[in-house]
Amino acid sequence: MAVAELTPQEGETLVRKERSLLEESFIRLVKNKVAIISAIFIIVLTLAAIFANYVAPYGYAEQDLLANNAVPEWMLFLLPPGAENYANISDVYAFGADHLGRDLLSRTIYGARVSLGFAFVASLVSLLIGTLYGMVSGYVGGRVDDIMMRIVDFLYAFPFLVVVILLQTYFKAIERRGGASFFFDLNDKMGGMLFLFVAIGLIDWIGMARIARGQVLSYKNTEFVEAARAVGASDTRIIMRHLLPNILGPLIVAESLNIPSYIFLEAFLSFIGLGVNAPTPSWGIMISEAVEGLRSYPNQVLVPAIALSLTTLAFNFLGDGMRDALDPRLKE
Amino acid sequence: MKSKSMYIVFALLIVASMVLAACQPEQAPVVETVVVTQVVEQEGEQVVVTQIVEKEVTPTPATVEQPVTLNWNWATEPPTIDPALATDTTSVDAIRNLFVGLTQFNPDTGEVEPYLATDWETSENADGDTVYTFNLRDDIPWVKYDPTTGETTQVTDADGNPRFVNAEDVVYGVKRTVDPNTASDYAYVLYIIKNAQAVNEGEEGFTLDDVGVTAIDDTTVEFTLEYPGAYFPSIAGMWVANPQPAWAIDEWEDKWTEAGLINTNGPYTLETWIHGGELNLVKNPLWINADDVQIERVHGVMIVEASTAFALYENNELDTTGVPLPEIDRVKADPQLSAEFVNAPDVCTYYYGFVNTKPPFDDVNVRKAFVQSIDRQSLIDNVLKGGQIPATSFAPPGIFGAPEPGTIGLPYDPDAARASLQTYLDENGMTIDDFNAMGIVLMYNTSEGHARIAAAIQQMWSDVLGVNVQVENQEWSVYLDTVQKTTPVEDAPHVFRMGWCADYPDENNWVHEVFNSDAGANRLRRNCLDPNCGESTTSTFDEITAQAAVESDPDTRVELYHQAEEILAAEEAAYAPIYHYTIVQVTKPWLDRNYPLLGGNDFFNWTVDMGTKLDATGG
Amino acid sequence: MTRYIIRRVLGFIPVLFTITLFTFALMRAIPGGPFDFAGDRSLPPQIVANIEAKYHLDWPLWKQFLSYLIGDDLLGEEGISKGVIRGDLGPSLRYRSQSVNDIVATTFPISAQLGFLSVLLAVLIGIPAGTLAALNQNSWIDYTSTFGAVIFLSIPNLVLAPILIWIFALGLGWFPVAGWGSKPPYLLGFLPQLSQLNWNYISHAIMPVFALGTASAASIARLTRASLLQVIREDYIRTARAKGLRERAVIVIHALKNSLIPVVTILGPLFAALVSGTFVVEQIFGINGMGKHFVQSVGNRDYQVITGLTLLFGVLLVIANLLVDVTYAWLDPRIRYD
Repeated sequence: MAVAELTPQEGETLVRKERSLLEESFIRLVKNKVAIISAIFIIVLTLAAIFANYVAPYGYAEQDLLANNAVPEWMLFLLPPGAENYANISDVYAFGADHLGRDLLSRTIYGARVSLGFAFVASLVSLLIGTLYGMVSGYVGGRVDDIMMRIVDFLYAFPFLVVVILLQTYFKAIERRGGASFFFDLNDKMGGMLFLFVAIGLIDWIGMARIARGQVLSYKNTEFVEAARAVGASDTRIIMRHLLPNILGPLIVAESLNIPSYIFLEAFLSFIGLGVNAPTPSWGIMISEAVEGLRSYPNQVLVPAIALSLTTLAFNFLGDGMRDALDPRLKE
Repeated sequence: MKSKSMYIVFALLIVASMVLAACQPEQAPVVETVVVTQVVEQEGEQVVVTQIVEKEVTPTPATVEQPVTLNWNWATEPPTIDPALATDTTSVDAIRNLFVGLTQFNPDTGEVEPYLATDWETSENADGDTVYTFNLRDDIPWVKYDPTTGETTQVTDADGNPRFVNAEDVVYGVKRTVDPNTASDYAYVLYIIKNAQAVNEGEEGFTLDDVGVTAIDDTTVEFTLEYPGAYFPSIAGMWVANPQPAWAIDEWEDKWTEAGLINTNGPYTLETWIHGGELNLVKNPLWINADDVQIERVHGVMIVEASTAFALYENNELDTTGVPLPEIDRVKADPQLSAEFVNAPDVCTYYYGFVNTKPPFDDVNVRKAFVQSIDRQSLIDNVLKGGQIPATSFAPPGIFGAPEPGTIGLPYDPDAARASLQTYLDENGMTIDDFNAMGIVLMYNTSEGHARIAAAIQQMWSDVLGVNVQVENQEWSVYLDTVQKTTPVEDAPHVFRMGWCADYPDENNWVHEVFNSDAGANRLRRNCLDPNCGESTTSTFDEITAQAAVESDPDTRVELYHQAEEILAAEEAAYAPIYHYTIVQVTKPWLDRNYPLLGGNDFFNWTVDMGTKLDATGG
Repeated sequence: MTRYIIRRVLGFIPVLFTITLFTFALMRAIPGGPFDFAGDRSLPPQIVANIEAKYHLDWPLWKQFLSYLIGDDLLGEEGISKGVIRGDLGPSLRYRSQSVNDIVATTFPISAQLGFLSVLLAVLIGIPAGTLAALNQNSWIDYTSTFGAVIFLSIPNLVLAPILIWIFALGLGWFPVAGWGSKPPYLLGFLPQLSQLNWNYISHAIMPVFALGTASAASIARLTRASLLQVIREDYIRTARAKGLRERAVIVIHALKNSLIPVVTILGPLFAALVSGTFVVEQIFGINGMGKHFVQSVGNRDYQVITGLTLLFGVLLVIANLLVDVTYAWLDPRIRYD
């Protein structure tokens, strides 16, 4: 009836197949409740971070020395017995204050900027470079592919962490000497981490490249690509309009599963002293500063730690959900 | 038959040892005076009173299996325990327990006292140079610990003669420190000795023989100085001038400080050193005052993380440790921990320096405004919490020539601060916004503690003066580079954080060596003839400290140093002193330790009551 | 296969050379030197120059690099360096009585033990957990396992480690707060003496290994589950079932072996990720491992230490990658290297 009437022509089939694959995946994704909750969480968090000035009850640098280490009444159960004797119990701040009397909730909200900024910038850069590299390598094939993959294997052996530490040390050391310029200003706004975000993206694209190449290889010789070539489409057009939309899915999935590691990396760098410049808050620096007082004031660690954990959880679930949605073979 | 008689001999030996063991003399009870808190009836009421009471105490004997042990945390791997190369406090702590110096400091008064040297005198030689002659004792042996047998024996030379510390060793030690090939970071402390600087800097025409130190005979050492210095006996007591064992260093070179190879002469010897893991000391039975050394073994771990060390302390695995800042509140409120809490003064000062050539800090009104808007007490009560002493001058109590804290300098006075700043603004026709547009920068070296203080003070400046100061941080090695007086002034911050701890207990080490625009580090860039401080001139302050350096009358020197402090802190307001450090520690009740005025951890002066300790730790 | 291995090993050399060169160059590019200061005070330039001369830091960079690689005598200069090719990784500039070889000999065994045990834990927990979850898809076993895995994936070491100490060492008193159970000398250079493998060793190891290994265990569990789910539906599994093989045989022999491929793939990067975790865990548990040297030597500008450790780490990484590829081939007969 309706289906049989339609006699699809070559071009139409191409387009419809693309749309319905993504559509199907999207529909599957939406059915995944956990993934949707995670996605909503991330969106809400991002909005809160962007509009932190309106959302957060206090500024991130607003201090009240007399209110240092304030603990609200409802969190007292976390503290060791006898806490009433030493703790500054005050309900002024929703989750308490840190050692300088700065509101933990506000700093956590502002802190999302650094963590999410890191996640998005680094993954965008790595996605961009990796996808381009992998696509070119896979599509062109032959000797070029060989050489490009050799380089990737080569880079694979580089100890990522050492490079990160060296680069961050270098960036921090030359910060002052850089003087005033657009990039250094923007860098300042991100607590001195902008260069690092970009640098991480520049080093971490290898995984992306491999996936992109693999995907291109599997799609390279499909019918619709051949058809497009037959019609006379240029290579660029083929890559951009036909291959890219198909391979983007797994790439985004892989990248979103990478994001938690970026967030952890930021926490690690903060712990070793290569994190954001004061007073810019980030979850990593908040945790590192408060971990020494874990027993006396656990709320100072738990608030940013839970925020960090929830965010990585969300990215994990979302990434999982997207992967399940894209992969039809995982159907029941 | 032979075997049978052997059995009889063994049996007799066993019986004899059992008898002897049973016959161990009982420890005699000892009378101790103890401070006791008692509830007493006074005028019909119950009153709590502290009284001094005499108690008879039977000390629990330490047994062979459990030597009197101190559980200590070095907190970090000492980069070296070679006296010629050490620079940091951990290494120096170890060295002071292992080696003997010419002089030592009285832990309570900080005065210089005899140690290896029994006495000394000054004189002048034919060229007019000041000469110090030290007479040494001849009975301190060089010893070596054998890890396989656990025995400490006296070192002998090639002919089998026992080695005692003598003047040659002192001369060797001094020369080795000054030798450029040794690459000692701290050699500059010995520059007061004639030609030491020339030799150390590799100047043409100078060799080690030219260094002004000679051994007149086995027990007499003579130092010829470049310039008179009444504080020389303090310097002579520093580890860089310690006698060093030439024979061991020649044989083992860089490895001579390893366990089993090292030759020492102090109260303890090195038992084990697993780099990065533990460094253990064991009592030297051949030490001249061995009877006074109660702690027989020091088990020293290297736990860097302060909260982990504190957890170890709470678990009875460490006998004393520092209290991590966030835990201070809890410790002070906890009944048990607060009894173990100790707050003692330390000889270091924390300050913010101003780059005096960088506008607007080239104007004294601006500097005064910034100094007087720092509420030190609030900082100490709310951020530092360690009972630190607010500092308005540089050298802390205990340093010769130091003024009483609070008597000299600019106190917290927000009104005066605002007035000073207003004067500056009026004189230059600026508004506060113009001022802020200059982009004032405060810098510190990366550390959580410094970050907190900087954030707090930044807020204070904002609240009192309305100035917006940017805060930046750099890691230590880069930072030191940045705040050097010769760094281009555009790259330098306006305000920088610094601390200073005493090398030796004299104001010369403080106001002169740190701030003198000619002879000192002069990071404040006072009296610089150009903004990058390539050259500098002198003013009253500098002349006073230079004069005090060579003055021999102690009272005059104190007077001069008080004047100098007043000028620098109040008249010129060239820097902002913030606080004098304190020691913030907890100590187990079974450890009885002192806190020497000039710092340091001298295990040989401490005691551990093993009985109580074993009871608490379960053996 | 042997030819492949040999080719790979030969391929290591340019990689390791580049890594060394890169680290060497970047370290020198960072401002500040190892001797610029003594404690709180910065040293006058002549002193610094003197000290640097002793370690040949005044030589031109290419000369320093060559000296580092092949030794001073081959360069025709006076010096103590025998070069990396003869196994001399140089002196430590900060720890004066130790050479980089000493540092490695003291700290590497502990980090290796810690790392190995963590990977072991990760595999021993992760694979069975993932398998069970896959075989019982959508049951409570699956949900608990998946949820647990994701929870542990989301807690950073930095938070997990002190919490473990708080609960298990200080609160319950089951395990010691800090330290590691084995001391030098080591068997074969890195294994603990058999006499030291007692409760003391285990009790010291439990919390750090747990802190380090759970994240990896969680990763492996999830990956195993996803991969096994895929493989179970493959045709050849259906064939095996159709042939009448018992369910367990089917799973273990056919499905698991193939589903382990992606798991093995991540073992390489997992091992690399361990290093950052190691630093945190070692610091918080007071373990004398190599991790702290990685981080501190950059701040100390201890050039030889960071270059040597990076080189060592690069060697371990390429060997790990090689092992992964070889295991790959063993697991999947379709993959052939020539």
